[in-house]
Amino acid sequence: MSTISTTQTIPDSALDKPRTGTWDGGNEPFKASYGKLMMWFFLLSDAFTFAAFLTTYGLIRHRYAAYDEKIHGAFKFSSDYWPIPDKVFNAFPGMGHADVPLGFVALMTMILIFSSVTMVLAVEAGHRMDKKDVQKWLLWTILFGATFLCSQAWEWSHFIGGHEEGTKMADGTVFHGANLAMNQYGPVLFGDLFFFITGFHGTHVFSGVCLLVWSFIATTNGTFEKRGHYEMVEKIGLYWHFVDLVWVFVFTFFYLV
Amino acid sequence: MAHHAPAADTHVGEIPKPNTGWIWKTFFVLVGITALEFVFVFFMDPGTMRNAIFIILTIFKAFFIVAEFMHLKHETKGLIWTILIPMALLIWLLVALITEGNAIGAAVHNFLN
Repeated sequence: MSTISTTQTIPDSALDKPRTGTWDGGNEPFKASYGKLMMWFFLLSDAFTFAAFLTTYGLIRHRYAAYDEKIHGAFKFSSDYWPIPDKVFNAFPGMGHADVPLGFVALMTMILIFSSVTMVLAVEAGHRMDKKDVQKWLLWTILFGATFLCSQAWEWSHFIGGHEEGTKMADGTVFHGANLAMNQYGPVLFGDLFFFITGFHGTHVFSGVCLLVWSFIATTNGTFEKRGHYEMVEKIGLYWHFVDLVWVFVFTFFYLV
Repeated sequence: MAHHAPAADTHVGEIPKPNTGWIWKTFFVLVGITALEFVFVFFMDPGTMRNAIFIILTIFKAFFIVAEFMHLKHETKGLIWTILIPMALLIWLLVALITEGNAIGAAVHNFLN
């Protein structure tokens, strides 16, 4: 950059000047930079997609009967009613068949909330132009994000593999676990919604981890330091918090309610 | 942030001390609400009341993530409303389609009996 210098022969009036007029790009709507504003609009549209998923879950869940001890007796998996999440998601890695209702999903939630905290710390370090701190916190965020993905892989494999006892299907055979066409937990759509909703969220986490790895490399190379600001880390941070936000809703509507 | 300082400027002066108190405060609020949700899971019978509590607590958590971590609280009013108003429409969608789900369930049930 410093090797290029303007020659004396070009008059000042011929040089391109920064455009500062209201309609020339000199105006920042909402006092937010172009990139940040577009990230917000992208996240808004993404929120619509996730809301469509969760609304679909609500519709389909209410289309099936809810489990009622007085009508159905002691709880067992059945396609007559929607399963209770505590009974489906009750396994913990390394604890065999111990009944730990929602234990693992609680751990996953904590990991994701914690990754959100390390992400804000990275953004905060960026405001102070503290390259070392940005690197440190980005690495922590990548670590927690990757841990979350591994946890989800375990959760999926357990859901697909199924519980020991399985469920007797209409044709008299016992089926274990789940796929898109049948599952031992309840109505077919319960399994499908699990795969689509947590899968779509997991894809977002994966994209987020890729972006974080890229921004870590760029930080290390000094790209943002040369640019004079760490706004890119801030924008990726917005995306990352959004992924955490979506998990808060998935957690409530899929595991708690 | 639109201001692009020359690279040389960034090395001038000390790096300021981190200001992270508010971040940890928000973190403990989020952990506290999540812990509270688990208290309700195990010590309250399922029902509309419990679900309502879960949804309210979820909205609290969402508020803290969006307002503090995503910094929306400190943006201009215009940006805040641009994000919030479309989201508010989704509540109507949710209520409408859950009602629809109940209607489909009842229709299927009546058809089979």
